[in-house]
Amino acid sequence: MAESSRSLAGGRRATLASIAAGAVALGSGCARRLRTVTGWEPSSQVSLRIKAVPADADPYALRAARTVAGWFRAAGIDAGVTPVAREELLRQVLLNAEFDLFVARLPERFRSPDGLYSLLHSRFGEAPGWQNPFGYADLDVDEMLETQRRASDGRRQVVARIQRTVAETQPFTVLAFPDDIRTARTDRYRSWLVADLASPLGYLTVERAGADPSDRRDGSTPEARADEVLRLAVTDRRATENLNPLAAEFRGHGVLTGLLYDPLGYDTGTGTVEPWLAESWAFPEERGETRARVRLREDLVWHDGEPLTASDVAFTHALLADTSLGADRQEGEAGTEAGTEDPVPAPRFQGRNSLVADVRVLDETTVEFRFVECDPGVATRAFTVPVLPEHVWADRTGPASVGGIVVGGATEALVTSNIPPVGSGPLRFVRNTPRESLVLERFDGHFLDDDPSGGLPGRMAGGPAFDRLSVRVVGSDVTAVEMVADGDADVTGTAVGAATVPRIGRADDLDLLVDRSETPYLLGYNARRPPLTNPRFRNTLARLIDGSYLAGTVFEGYAQPAVSPLAGTDWLPSDLRWDGTNPVTPFIGSDGELDVRRARDAFRDAGYQYDEGALVEVN
Amino acid sequence: MGLLDVVAEVGAVVAGLHVLAAVLVVGPDRLRAAPRRVRANLSAVAPALAVLGIVLALNRVVRDAGVELSWIIGLNITGWIHAVEGEFIAVLQSVSLPALTAYFGFIYVFGYVFLLTFPLLAYLLHDEPRPLRVLLVTYVLNYALGLVCYVTFVAYGPRNFMPELVGSLLFTHWPQSQLLTAQVNVNTNVFPSLHASLSTTVALLAHRFRHVYPRWRPVAAVLAASIALSTMYLGIHWLTDVLAGVVLAAATVAAATRVAADGNRGGRGGTDSGTERLSRNTGRWR
Repeated sequence: MAESSRSLAGGRRATLASIAAGAVALGSGCARRLRTVTGWEPSSQVSLRIKAVPADADPYALRAARTVAGWFRAAGIDAGVTPVAREELLRQVLLNAEFDLFVARLPERFRSPDGLYSLLHSRFGEAPGWQNPFGYADLDVDEMLETQRRASDGRRQVVARIQRTVAETQPFTVLAFPDDIRTARTDRYRSWLVADLASPLGYLTVERAGADPSDRRDGSTPEARADEVLRLAVTDRRATENLNPLAAEFRGHGVLTGLLYDPLGYDTGTGTVEPWLAESWAFPEERGETRARVRLREDLVWHDGEPLTASDVAFTHALLADTSLGADRQEGEAGTEAGTEDPVPAPRFQGRNSLVADVRVLDETTVEFRFVECDPGVATRAFTVPVLPEHVWADRTGPASVGGIVVGGATEALVTSNIPPVGSGPLRFVRNTPRESLVLERFDGHFLDDDPSGGLPGRMAGGPAFDRLSVRVVGSDVTAVEMVADGDADVTGTAVGAATVPRIGRADDLDLLVDRSETPYLLGYNARRPPLTNPRFRNTLARLIDGSYLAGTVFEGYAQPAVSPLAGTDWLPSDLRWDGTNPVTPFIGSDGELDVRRARDAFRDAGYQYDEGALVEVN
Repeated sequence: MGLLDVVAEVGAVVAGLHVLAAVLVVGPDRLRAAPRRVRANLSAVAPALAVLGIVLALNRVVRDAGVELSWIIGLNITGWIHAVEGEFIAVLQSVSLPALTAYFGFIYVFGYVFLLTFPLLAYLLHDEPRPLRVLLVTYVLNYALGLVCYVTFVAYGPRNFMPELVGSLLFTHWPQSQLLTAQVNVNTNVFPSLHASLSTTVALLAHRFRHVYPRWRPVAAVLAASIALSTMYLGIHWLTDVLAGVVLAAATVAAATRVAADGNRGGRGGTDSGTERLSRNTGRWR
């Protein structure tokens, strides 16, 4: 905004100047010269605003953004940071594309290279959600993203090439992979160190302290178990206000909605998908077409007692592809114009759902998936989306309204808070107090109760080790740690900052849990806005960022710098390994100190100019 | 130590301060006459009290909706505030000492609650209702105008905007206090500082009604200054917020004295304003 007002003022000044000059020029008969001179547009300083969540909500994002803004300013850019609340940031970035740059973490575990498909394919440039929020468009990358889906051999080379191109053209800069730091009490629950708390499954593997895992359900009456509550202190209040698995701005890792809703298959964390709601699936050999026959477990039920059947699965994939379920179009066909309304896809799960061509119900417990051209190994990713109940969501396909007035193009399914949620997961909803708390309880009809083995990791059989899960929202990570230290909570449900580590170390009875996370902090560029449209400009900006320095100072060592979002997987080619410095966009300077002269040269090489120390762009 | 413990602790300490101040500031004479005065004053200020009750209740409800609303229509001025005053708060905090942190932390929570509640009690025990009425009206105006600002502006405090320079001293020193402050404050609502405006208001009124409680004036002045300073020292508010709070306080005090004066002359019954004038004169003779 500041930029546009300045350029307006500049424009006005220029106009006045040209009128004054015009009087002279016309007088001397130099109208031609005037025309030539006014053809040169005025230029103004490049101005970039970085949006990030404030320190209360995230221990690192704002500090990282401010450090980056400092480097940008040193290079002559008018850079600043705007603190924005968490769901507001996602709303502005993911839904409205109202940003220059943003700092945020990728939301979900990102271990499969096919995750890049929805993150970077240009067909998602206009789609809301974590589908290409950068507006990045590179036809070569598009083609390679499609190729890697099909290729069973040679996939590794294609994925490596994608990563190299992305590292050069910089739709985003990977800032660091932070360690997820948490703390947990050991007096009531145990097995914290092996539980992956960034995944819903982690909470299912936690065990009661002093209990033999094999008989956790026996030997105690329901009354005695009634107070077995697992208490989480979190700094993210969004789940207390909204439990809609489709609402991109309210979901982070999706841990709590992941406990309420079940997918057909679960991500093992090692790149494979194993059956969950599904009993089994098979990919029959067929030429040119990938199909899968999925058989559901017997006697699945929703939390409200309705049976979960094959038709719910088919419905879910249709809903994800178009949350209006073509309602508008059918009306259109009846009328004059057919197909005038476009589908309204869900802002989450688009990448995975784009693998699915259609889903057919064969009988109560069997569905047949037909996929787009892709390898079965990739296709199973489509099984990890949550299955939604048709009898609840079928009524949410109409346009969203506020007080009866239809606003915008969203459907009710996208904007509903979905409270109370009806899922089929191991936990069901009990109550919520917006901004303060959320209580879930064990769902006794879940298949985990009856299925002691079934190919699931051993500790999960028999269901969760607690009867209730209570989530309490606190103001900051320090308070969350103190809640756990004081015995008012069992674990910090959200990751806390490195600055709390000494505090955790000093307290008795606390486990310090440090996990290398799989979701990096990104600096995302809005490639729809000049000069960020220019990949060379973005590449030069990336060279103003010292990843090693960020990991050492902002993250206090609890992070690994990286080039690619696939760092840490075996998909990373060796030439993209972090080797003390960034192998693709090395920092111009050393130890966090920018070499200003060389930075200016780099921008001049990229075709930009400096005016009295300010990097300028032609308006 | 949960929220209830924090509330109980604050309640106990503030109650103790009230007893101490009642003896020292209000004095035994007035305390003895308390039952009669309280009844008369309460009925005299009932309308103002009712309005304050409504505004506080509204504040509680509207605050949550207001946060949502301010993200839609509000202006995010955090960057501008920083551009205006720069790293002043960081400089202020560079002299931080454990003893200072403890003092300002105490002042921010306990001192503030005491400063706001004690004049209610003290003026309630006074011979005439006017100071109490003015006080109530200023509280109403502070909250009402504050709420308007909170919807109009989105602003994060320095501890949220430049965490590498400004520590969140209160919450690192006494994390549990955040359980309490989170009930009352939203971290996007720092402009203006209601801590600064309400305490300045109390101090200004202590000066205006110094003839009522001469001993209260210095106490209120020191507390108000400490509270304004504490909000900055603890990294919660910008200097800009505090200055805006002081301006808000001056405006509300000026407005409230006028409104309350009108209330005396106009709408209210003649006998009532007659007695008031009489008692005001008695007050002055003392």
